[in-house]
Order: sequence, then C-alpha cells, then structure tokens
Amino acid sequence: MNQAVKTIIKKDIKGITSNRSLFLSLLIVPLVLTVLLPCIFLFAVHFVPDDPDIRKLLDLLPRSAWSSSPELTISGLILNYIMPVFFLIIPIMASSVMAASSFVGEKEKHTLETLLYSPLTLGQIFRAKVLASFLMSMAVSLASFLVMLLFMELEAFFLMGSLLPLSASWLILLCMLSPAVSLIAVTLIVRGSARAQSMEESQQAAVFLILPLVLLVVGQFTGVLLVSQWLLLVLSLACALLAWILLRRAAARYTYEMVLK
Amino acid sequence: MNAVTITHLSKTYPNGTAALQDITLALRPGEVCGFLGPNGAGKTTTVKLLNGILTPSGGSLSVLGMDPAREPEKIHARCGVVTEHAQMYDNLTGKENLLFYASVFGISPSEAADRADALLWELDLLNAQDKKLSSYSTGMRQRLSLARALIHRPDVLFLDEPTSGLDPESARNVNLMIRRLAEESGVTVFLCTHQLRYAQEICSRYCLIEKGMLLADGTLKELRSRILPDTVLRIRAGHMPVIAGQYDPGQHSRENIFQEISPGHYETHIRSEEEIPAIVRQIAEKGGLIYSVENIQPSLEDIYFALTDIQKEASL
Repeated sequence: MNQAVKTIIKKDIKGITSNRSLFLSLLIVPLVLTVLLPCIFLFAVHFVPDDPDIRKLLDLLPRSAWSSSPELTISGLILNYIMPVFFLIIPIMASSVMAASSFVGEKEKHTLETLLYSPLTLGQIFRAKVLASFLMSMAVSLASFLVMLLFMELEAFFLMGSLLPLSASWLILLCMLSPAVSLIAVTLIVRGSARAQSMEESQQAAVFLILPLVLLVVGQFTGVLLVSQWLLLVLSLACALLAWILLRRAAARYTYEMVLK
Repeated sequence: MNAVTITHLSKTYPNGTAALQDITLALRPGEVCGFLGPNGAGKTTTVKLLNGILTPSGGSLSVLGMDPAREPEKIHARCGVVTEHAQMYDNLTGKENLLFYASVFGISPSEAADRADALLWELDLLNAQDKKLSSYSTGMRQRLSLARALIHRPDVLFLDEPTSGLDPESARNVNLMIRRLAEESGVTVFLCTHQLRYAQEICSRYCLIEKGMLLADGTLKELRSRILPDTVLRIRAGHMPVIAGQYDPGQHSRENIFQEISPGHYETHIRSEEEIPAIVRQIAEKGGLIYSVENIQPSLEDIYFALTDIQKEASL
C-alpha cells in the first residue's frame, strides 16, 4: 500500500480517537450492547424462577442445542442466536460514525479540499478513507466481541458454574457479515456525502441498515425467523456482493465536483 | 516552455453561471503573475481549473506541460495551492499538520522535519509549532497554509488571496517570501487577489479580470502605456504663475494645464517625464516658487477602474 494512503488512514483514525465526544459515542453503543445487555439477559435467566413456558420452548429445541442445565441452554441461545443480531449494530454504527467523520466531517471543515491538492489520485483518497472507516469498524467490532465474550463467559461461570459454548455463527459473523455490512454502511455515507452538509445529517443514512436489523431482532425473539449458520452464510455472501457493487458505484461517482459540491 | 498556458478557457457551471469566458494567457517560469479582480470575478474558478478540480467547458489548459483534467495528481505533485477553502486539521498541531502533508507528498520523515522547521521559522510560526491549529489566529492559519503549500518545494504556486486576514507586518513578510521564491528559486507564482495595491508590490505581471473576462494583461509599464498613458505632474509652489493661460476644464491642450487641487498644490497631466524640465523651467522663469515636483504614475487601481469604466461605457 502507498505510504501516503497509509498516512491518510492513520490521520483519519487519529481524527476519531483524539475527538473525545466522537470517540465516546463510538464506544458507548458497543458497551451497552456487549456488556450491559448480555449482563441483563444472563441475570434474568439466572434469577427468574422456572417458567413452564420456557420448559416447553426448550423441549422444542434439538438435542444438540441442549446443555447441562436449562439455564445454560437458554444462556447459550442468547449468546449464539440473540446477541449476533444485536452485535451487527456495532459495525454499522462504527463505520457510519467513522465514514461520516472521514468524508463529510472533512468536507464540513474544508480539509478535504486541501487533500484534493495532494499528489494522490481521487481513487487513492477514496480507498484510504474507505479503508480507515472499515479498519476502525472492524477493530471496534472485534474488541466488542472479545469484551462481550469475556463478560458473558465470566458471568456464566460464576452464576451457573460453567462456560457457554460458542457457535460457528460468530466466525461467519465476524469474518464475513460484519465486514460486508460495514462496507455497505460506508458506501451509504459516501453516497449521501454530496448532499449532506454536516456529519450528523450524513449518519442518518445508516438508519436504512438498522431497520432490517430491527426486523431481524424481532424475528429472533419471536421465533418467526431463526437464523441458522447456513442462512447466516448466505446472508453474508449476499451482503458481501452488495457491498462490492455499492463500493464500485460509489468509487465511480466520487469525482472532484461531487466532493466539493 | 511556459509554466502555465491558458487558451480560450471558459467555464459554465451546471446552473448556467458563466464563471469564465474566453481567457487566454501564458506564464513564463519564475514570473509572479497577479490575477486580479473583485470577488466573484472567476479567480478561484481559474485556480481550480488549473489544478484539475474543475473541468473546463471550453478551451484548454496546461501546467508544466501537463493537462490538469487528465493528470491532476501529477500537477499537484509539482504545484502548491493556497485557497481560502483549503484548510488544515484543527486537532493536529501546526508542525504535525506540515509533517502530515509532507508524508502525503512522499517526503521522508527526517527531510520533512527539516523543511517544516525552516518554513515555520521563515513564516514566524516556530513558537506556535506545538500548539493545536484550533488555537491559531486567522493570520497564523494563513501563514501555515503557505508553509503547507511550500513543503514539497513546488515549481508553481497558486495563491488565492494569500494575505487576507494578515496583519501588515505578516503581509509584508509573506510578500517578501513570495518575491524571493520567484527570484531565487524560479518558482512561478499565480497570485489571485482583489487587493490591487498588495499585488502591485510583488507581481511582475498582471491579468485584470471582471465577470469572468480578461480585461487586460501585461506588465505595469505595458498596462500604463496602453490604458492610461498620461501621468500626473504635481507641483507644490508658493506662487504659481500663469503657464500659457489659466486652467480650463474643457480644454486639454499642453499649454493650458495646471489646476489648483488644494492651496499651493497644482496638477497637470503629461505624456512623458521628458516634458517636466521644460515645464519647471517655464514656471521658474515666470517667477514661480517651486517647493516640490512629483511625477505620479497611474497605479494598478487607476488602471483597473479605467478599464472597468471603459467596459461599462461599451456595454451601455
């Protein structure tokens, strides 16, 4: 990778991490989703008395999904079926915040024009900014996953006396679906960056990604749609393909006149 | 080879605004060319076109032999640009900003640090180098922008209102620096400003534009001889005799010339300074008491306003 491209990536990441309010907004949502939410779920599972309806629900599950106790089975379901859907909000949010700062924030502060007078092609500047948003999003997602895993496993161990099994869904989610939705979010921000006059305005584009996710959450909770590993894999591939198409289109539309509009 | 060549350039924005119309000019290497006109005349548009940020609607451009529309990044590698809208990062210090742009231009870290120090010293920013840009005044930001545009030692410098917001001393230092760059390093400077007096101090050549049209172009001497060939002879005298008759506002003959503009101050228009000795001799011979004689040449401002007046008359 070109040294100048690396320099822009580093600068863009520093631009977020050195801005306390922006960086906090980037951390609060992952903390709520990966620490607070699973804690509430696991405490509820542990302290709520046995419910015959829950028993019936567990009976419907295949034997392979059963653990040594109903408590652990439900906690395992939360970790491997409920949390992934919530978790997807993190890469979308992180890449949106980062892309909004990198593309629209720079336009708003008139620093993007200065960058355009550099010896980099517009394509290189575009790639550097997409990469910065993507890498930041992946770093936040991975860190969030590790924190979530640590908290849930520790909690399960101390409350229920055993660790929770981790499904292969997480591997698909971290390696395929999260990167794909991150890139889709970035392209949506870039697309809106020509019209948006402020970072906040441009971040609204991410709502279009959050909405299907909300439906997925509802589906998971109500049992209407249970995302299996195969379904997740297909969904990931579809999202990766969509991200690739959207990225190519965004790069083609990224012209000097569009940037300075 | 010319450093910059503009041939029949025109630019019309998508909303129909004609920003530039049929501009033709060429800059030789080492020239400091003032591209002068009021706000909205098309100066910034020209800078953007010359850097490939905008594409022309008609005509052609060449910077250091390259077409800005085809190879903008190659032009950027050899040119420096300062515009009002090209800002730097508030969250970085002055020096960090320079090092960042040096790295983007492919300069090694040690070389970048040396160049940044030299520029910060030259632009009187050394004391503020470790302060965040957010604490810089407008003048300091402007000087840092100039340092940023010079960090890669460009061959051509495009400056759009480089002294706006500068105090008189800083503006003078910037002027000296620009002139030195042209004279010692052969840097071609394309200077856009509406401050004609400031331009007259440093430019070797002038292009006067209004509403996207080039009104005139040339050195000050050429512009004077073409547009306002007369100069003003101002004499301060205790007693001014009648020189071939009193002033007659309706008459512009050589003999009937002096007008008293204030008590003891007299003015007349002359074509060349060769006429001065004869006029002075005539006054002295007739008993006039001359205290001072001043030959006032038309300034760039006078020339500009004369040109715009001609334009207005032509459009009526």
